[in-house]
Amino acid sequence: MLRGFTSPFDATVVSLLQDSGADVIGKTNCDEFGMGSLNIHSCHGPVWNPVNQDCATDSLEARSAGGSSGGSAAAVAAGLCDAALGTDTGGSVRLPASYCGVVGLKPSYGLISRWGVVSYADSLDCVGILASDVDTTERIFHTLAVFDALDPTAAPLGLRKEVYQSTEKRLSSINFAKSNSLEGLRVGIPQEYFPSELSTEIIQQLRNVVSELRLRGAMIIPISLPSTSYALSSYYVLASAEASSNLARYDGVQYGSYVKPPPGTDITKTSNVYAQSRTAGFGEEVQKRILLGTYALSADAFDNYFLQAQRVRQLIKEDFNHVFAIPNHYSDSPVMTSSKSPKVDVLLHPSAIRTAPLLNEVSSGASDLSAYVQDVLTVPASLAGLPALSVPVKDSDRESERWPVGISVVGQWGTDEMVLAIGKVVQDLYRES
Amino acid sequence: MPSSWRTTSSQRGAATGWWDERKQVTGKITSWSRPLPSGFSFRPPMLVRRLRPTPYFRAFHDLRTYQEDIRWPGWQVIIGIETHAQIKSHRKLFSESLTSAPDDPPNTHVSPFDAAFPGTLPKVNPKCVDLALRTAFALKCRIAHRSSFDRKHYFYSDLPSGYQITQQYAPLAKNGELEVQTPGSSPVTVRIKQIQLEQDTAKSTFNPRTRTSNIDLNRAGTGLMEIVSEPDMRSPEEAGAYVRTLQAVLRAMGSSDGNMEQGSLRCDVNVSVNQKGGPPGIRCEIKNLNSVRFIMAAIRHEIKRQTEYLLANPGSSVPQETRGFDENTFETFRLRSKEDAPDYRYMPDPNLGVLVLSQSRIEEIQKMLPALPWEKRSRLLEQYPQLGAKEQSLDVLLNVDNGRDVGFDGEDSGGVVGYFESLCREARADGRTVKRDPVVVLNWLTHELLGQLTARKQTFSDNALTVSQLGELIDLVQSKSITGTSGKFLLRHMLSSPSSDSPTKIATGLELIALPASPSFSPSSQGKGSASPELQSLCEAAITALPSEVAALRAGNRNVLNKIVGYVMKQSRGRADAVAVRNLVEELVR
Repeated sequence: MLRGFTSPFDATVVSLLQDSGADVIGKTNCDEFGMGSLNIHSCHGPVWNPVNQDCATDSLEARSAGGSSGGSAAAVAAGLCDAALGTDTGGSVRLPASYCGVVGLKPSYGLISRWGVVSYADSLDCVGILASDVDTTERIFHTLAVFDALDPTAAPLGLRKEVYQSTEKRLSSINFAKSNSLEGLRVGIPQEYFPSELSTEIIQQLRNVVSELRLRGAMIIPISLPSTSYALSSYYVLASAEASSNLARYDGVQYGSYVKPPPGTDITKTSNVYAQSRTAGFGEEVQKRILLGTYALSADAFDNYFLQAQRVRQLIKEDFNHVFAIPNHYSDSPVMTSSKSPKVDVLLHPSAIRTAPLLNEVSSGASDLSAYVQDVLTVPASLAGLPALSVPVKDSDRESERWPVGISVVGQWGTDEMVLAIGKVVQDLYRES
Repeated sequence: MPSSWRTTSSQRGAATGWWDERKQVTGKITSWSRPLPSGFSFRPPMLVRRLRPTPYFRAFHDLRTYQEDIRWPGWQVIIGIETHAQIKSHRKLFSESLTSAPDDPPNTHVSPFDAAFPGTLPKVNPKCVDLALRTAFALKCRIAHRSSFDRKHYFYSDLPSGYQITQQYAPLAKNGELEVQTPGSSPVTVRIKQIQLEQDTAKSTFNPRTRTSNIDLNRAGTGLMEIVSEPDMRSPEEAGAYVRTLQAVLRAMGSSDGNMEQGSLRCDVNVSVNQKGGPPGIRCEIKNLNSVRFIMAAIRHEIKRQTEYLLANPGSSVPQETRGFDENTFETFRLRSKEDAPDYRYMPDPNLGVLVLSQSRIEEIQKMLPALPWEKRSRLLEQYPQLGAKEQSLDVLLNVDNGRDVGFDGEDSGGVVGYFESLCREARADGRTVKRDPVVVLNWLTHELLGQLTARKQTFSDNALTVSQLGELIDLVQSKSITGTSGKFLLRHMLSSPSSDSPTKIATGLELIALPASPSFSPSSQGKGSASPELQSLCEAAITALPSEVAALRAGNRNVLNKIVGYVMKQSRGRADAVAVRNLVEELVR
């Protein structure tokens, strides 16, 4: 649809990077309009995962880089660049990061400007950062997380300062520097994030991390986020509904590809003209989601789908607010503090249910639903607008040709600094040993 | 069968929502009566209106008593009007681009957002909100401290993004009223249901010859106020008066220029008819009427059409339709039936969120609210009771005031009423306050200044005279330093060659200073007290020049006196005082 399209303006994130001296070296492949978990829905073809390149010499052995920002993750993993930007609507930065063994940050919603980002679902879209280590991720985050008046959902300065201060206060109470101690840190393990599809190998990796953190003095607390099981349904209804709205603009009139209606078409009806370009310009997955979203917004379905999904989203936000020690500064509903459940600083859970799948396996269409199940671990943080960081973990006991595994650190809204700090701890567990 | 019943019911409970349940209970959709079941603590504001099925006549209780109309005896006509008024702001509702005038070249006021380029985001223009708030106050609405924006989807070439941002579920203001004066009957109160902010569309024109559509994005994204009335009007005349009154309110508030010909004010009119004493009929909506004359004609045609339908089909009701108006035949025609009504797939806009208005901002708007025309009128009459005898001139003044160009972003372009008031009580630069007779000022303004401007095909906004200039000019005439005739001449001169010079200086330059009747007369006349001999010599010259007239006067024909006086006046180029000349001539001839 947008092949050959050049935007008349730069995205705020691009200008910020260039102003800070960064070189933008190219554009990367991704799923069409960010819709997909495997980066196979692209008119440029799928992205090959660059990890263990030696065994992926023929296409039968090629593995997915994950999606939708698969090209960005692959570029970082292959060493083409220090860092790359991606967009994360439901996990599109964290999942490729996990598959490709790089660091992927989806910041808190509203911290990084969306001006210039092609909208998929505005209420979920975040600009994410992919880099080879947490320090680089952090540097870029600090460059990009500035208020931008062009983004109406940008968190105002006062709010940023407020949440920054409470994060700093909490972080200073945990003495990281003192002999690797994590005393005072409360890490929650959400019980709902271990679906039956989760591979045992990944569970083992998480276990190792958890025991290491406990050894350093962190308190590990099992917690429950009871609405998690509805997150995926809620996400797909809301994201598709917003997508059907946001993608209504691609009609081939102002820009983008245009397909002339065949002779004899009644061109006095606008829809007859648009249908040609939209049918030809949108890929299969995009069409599927537009249709789903259009239905969810129709008068008959709106209450049972869209509104219901919004209610679920609210429940998911409340779930998170119940378990975090720091209150949610972004939400304008009063923070409930009376809950008896134990409070935590961050959550820790696997980034994905498995390691990078074979492209051959996924593009055959056999595992139709599993492509969506993959998102189950990433969409709750998107629905709640929380910061989530996927950090690669490497088990030095095993052979190096294993496929990468990512562990996610999730924090309360605006506590990106804390999420990055804990992410660094997780990353360094393996660097030191 | 109990088992199958149980299955259905449990399925309904789990898979579908309480909305279907309600349908089941009542059998059909009636009204909003049941409260939300427990367990749904989250209820966005949009829910409330969303689920009220076509409340238009449903909750109808007639505030108006039936009045027979001899044109359609036995029928009651019910009219409600939705008005779209373009907001007179510098910039568009959600983008930085400037708003456009109808004759601007196409596609010259377009930003990437207006053309719905990917990556663009909306940002509310606070000026548009302020102007809509002014309107809300003038229409006595309840202002929502929290309102929100929704997307209304449809595919059409005049809508680049595929949706219009509007306020479907939680509008900016609700529950207002407007008192409408109708000629020959008591005023009617029309309730205002709500005021919502929304985007205007682009302009698309289809050329059937070349089979191409031309799209002009200049108008795309301009702010609109949709003002929805309750069905409180009962005749085409009331509907016309409502639109005219609303137009005056919008102009007074500076929120819209309300220009129907140029499309900055458009109306959709809902009409239904019913037998006297019967329940309200089914309404039809007539779309996009752009003059008061068309509104009234369309309503008249609808009344005729609907009553004829009801007579021909007793026991049935008029099919609910959306109709257009043919400006050539003055008839309405069917656009689409209720079944063909598009599903707009309303969705809360995820970018704009909730528009929160602080109490202080609302109070600020209220404090700075411009006066309405009828408020100005009563204020003037209260302050200057002597104007009660000059109501016609006062109305001219008020009409010109309300007809002035509406400034952008609510800036006052300076109305003639303010000019009038400053003239009546001028605070001069030297600290003195000069008071002037309001009747004299009103006469000068309406008869002379506005008259001269009209003759020059200009409007009050073209007036080149400052308050102090016109004030001094009036003072010169009042103190007889110049004559009334000279004053009018001076005014014409100052309009055609504007300058910052004082009228006194200009009058002196033009030799307009009056000739004093005698050396003792008018000591204020710029030290030219010695001009009396000039008048004397002018009169003497007249007597010499008109011997036969002088003879006739001496013979007792007093009518001839006027001719001699006229001669002197002409020779003096209007500088002489007629009474003084008359006395002097009589004295000299005697």
